[in-house]
Amino acid sequence: MSQTDKAKAFAALHVPGDPLILFNVWDAGSAQAVARAGAKAIASGSASVAGAHGVEDGEDVPMEVALANAARIVASVDLPVTIDFEGGYAVDPDETARNVARLAATGAIGCNFEDQVVGGAGMHDIDLQSRRIAAIRAAVGPDFFINARTDFFLQAKPDAHDGALTDAAIERVKAYADAGASGYFIPGLTDLTLVERITGASSLPVNAMTWTGAPSNREWAGTGIARISYGPGPFRQMQKWLEEAARAELA
Amino acid sequence: MASKFERFAALHVPGDPVVLYNIWDVGSALAVEKAGAKALATGSHPVADAQGWADGQQVPFDFALANAKRIVDSTDLPLTVDFEGAYSDDPAQGGANVVRLAATGAVGCNFEDQVIGGEGLHPLKLQVERIAAIRSAVGDAFFINARTDLFLKTQTYDDALIDQVIERGKAFADAGASGFFVPRLADARQIERVVREVPLPLNVIAFPGAPPKAEWAAAGVARISHGPFPHRALMAKLEEMAREAIS
Repeated sequence: MSQTDKAKAFAALHVPGDPLILFNVWDAGSAQAVARAGAKAIASGSASVAGAHGVEDGEDVPMEVALANAARIVASVDLPVTIDFEGGYAVDPDETARNVARLAATGAIGCNFEDQVVGGAGMHDIDLQSRRIAAIRAAVGPDFFINARTDFFLQAKPDAHDGALTDAAIERVKAYADAGASGYFIPGLTDLTLVERITGASSLPVNAMTWTGAPSNREWAGTGIARISYGPGPFRQMQKWLEEAARAELA
Repeated sequence: MASKFERFAALHVPGDPVVLYNIWDVGSALAVEKAGAKALATGSHPVADAQGWADGQQVPFDFALANAKRIVDSTDLPLTVDFEGAYSDDPAQGGANVVRLAATGAVGCNFEDQVIGGEGLHPLKLQVERIAAIRSAVGDAFFINARTDLFLKTQTYDDALIDQVIERGKAFADAGASGFFVPRLADARQIERVVREVPLPLNVIAFPGAPPKAEWAAAGVARISHGPFPHRALMAKLEEMAREAIS
């Protein structure tokens, strides 16, 4: 399947109410394991990739290392691969777009792209973020799946996830959709009533992040979510499992 | 204070073996360190598997070095790297390559006698030259774990094979090896013979279904490693968890 065909097939897997499930990976080996499990697509998680390299999340993995890792993941599976590319390793829209074009050249069919200021405080304002998304879209063509992430619900604690924050998130999804985003990612939000308000107002498929203790996949589906990802959870569970297995053998 | 190399070498005690739970990247190194490991050892097969490459020096040389450097920089534990055939059949080139590995801060390596990308084993004479060249290039403070693949390349684990293993072990010791690694050697009686006749600490590999470690320790083993099995077990677990999440 060509990269374009894979991108189109990947986009078609985003069905509100019948979500695509992405069990996030960090290297080619984990991608192959998840593919064997019957996954329909592969998604990396930046925190997991960072953890496998012993560095912090937040673009501490050098871009060249991240791109080489992405290329190896793409080469290791036949499935569509989307890469968590954080803030595109730049703030400037044109430079960000050039970096995402390099990611697309690895064969990845999409990426996560976040609106927090990586390595700083707070979030980029809505105009700058929209220009960044528009620049990426112009650089990568129509089929690359830009999963535009808002960090509102990671930056604010859960007890501050209220109607006003949800309105702000809805304002952003409208702007990001106009700028050319393909999907909208709202990690951190677990209040299903608020999630449903966003899915109801969004013209883009909405992606929720899940973990042990978060709503069930059935509950997410009931809110109109089109994509569920697992973020850093799988890597962290594997690290813990490896530590326990090693302890048993070292004892 | 003892150097990392000295600490690592001193862990090889016949009868009280150091256990190495093999790793492949920084993340796995940190998990195994947390588990209480005294030293870290990569496995070439898991390093390859984790990146989607085949074993047998399909991991690019520069990646192998960069990966070793990242692991060394992430931990205070001594690291030994499974360096396969040192990326060259030529003794001098192999020596130069191991010097580059030592420059990452790794305190030792596995070095095998199979013909990588070819058939069978290197003739003993050539293998001895290769080990001597590595020793001469890298100096004394580096643990050359000389591996023979006699067991991996056959299905008949009889006493005649043990004679050949012992012949190789003695020659490797004379050439300057620090340890002797015989993957798939498992029988306690055969282990005892090798330990008695080869003047190097013996390393065997724990595989699913292998005898208990205490039995190997009693036979005189000084080092037990786990090869590709930790990574395989972990990936099987990941597959199972992913299947549960996806269904």
